[in-house]
Amino acid sequence: MAINAEQALAATKVGATARVDAAVLPRFTPGTRVRTLNLNPPGHIRLPRYIRDKEGVIERDHGVFVFPDTHAAGLGEKPQHVYVVRFSARELWGPQGGAKDELLVDVWEDYLEPG
Amino acid sequence: MSANHNRPLSDVEIRVKALESLLVEKGLVDPAAVDALIDTYEHKVGPRNGAHVVAKAWMDPAYKARLLADGTAAIAELGYSGIQGEDMVVIESTPETHNVIVCTLCSCYPWPTLGLPPVWFKSAPYRSRVVSDPRGVLKEFGLELPEKMQVRVWDSTAELRYMVLPERPAGTEGMTEEQLAALVTRDSMIGVARVAVPGQEGART
Repeated sequence: MAINAEQALAATKVGATARVDAAVLPRFTPGTRVRTLNLNPPGHIRLPRYIRDKEGVIERDHGVFVFPDTHAAGLGEKPQHVYVVRFSARELWGPQGGAKDELLVDVWEDYLEPG
Repeated sequence: MSANHNRPLSDVEIRVKALESLLVEKGLVDPAAVDALIDTYEHKVGPRNGAHVVAKAWMDPAYKARLLADGTAAIAELGYSGIQGEDMVVIESTPETHNVIVCTLCSCYPWPTLGLPPVWFKSAPYRSRVVSDPRGVLKEFGLELPEKMQVRVWDSTAELRYMVLPERPAGTEGMTEEQLAALVTRDSMIGVARVAVPGQEGART
């Protein structure tokens, strides 16, 4: 029943990707302005609080991944694009942010709307 | 170790031992598998893997291009694939832009290339402060960046794992890949340090 040493090491070599080979079209393309939603559910969410309700720009499209918010709740994988969204430090932190500095955060498509 | 020889076990240690005994007794865990995993991440998988990737990218422009375009595939060429490195992104630091990695939601970290994360990477102060005051946090690591240099903080909140391709230091033109790899530190691949040449300005002591 228990896996042996050889099987355990083999598992570390393979891992388990959350990338999904699904033909899901992206809603946004790199360079597009987006706004994060202001979501505050009682349970699990992978949208960090400091980037909620903020303006950013799509930096790159990572492809299609399982959506943990539904998956963790037993509501299905809901595969969707994950993007790097670029925010200026000033947008997030006001005058305390460095004038040229940026934050780049991986964001699931369900957390975004057009900017 | 010997200094702690006579102290009683902590609550957490007792709980872990009890849990392990139960799992072994019930046949759910093979102690040899646990030993093999601990040995792997203590002795075999660590930042020397990432240093190999960095040194190869510095030596081989075609490899560097592949690494930046598809980190997962280029790292797999060197055999450093697996759990917590399934989907890799490599970010290049340049004289104009310094990159630093964090996971504000937990402690996501690229195990196959960098090993297990240092305690500070998982700590709440690093995770909360490096996003709001990256220059201040980097300064505490001994890295003071000029105002004209841009800082980019990458928050790996999703399923991808990141590492930084640090800038190759000046004065290393004649070095071999092996010599270069020896210069590359774990911290430089997280982005809280730059790679320095021993004896030169900026070298860590």
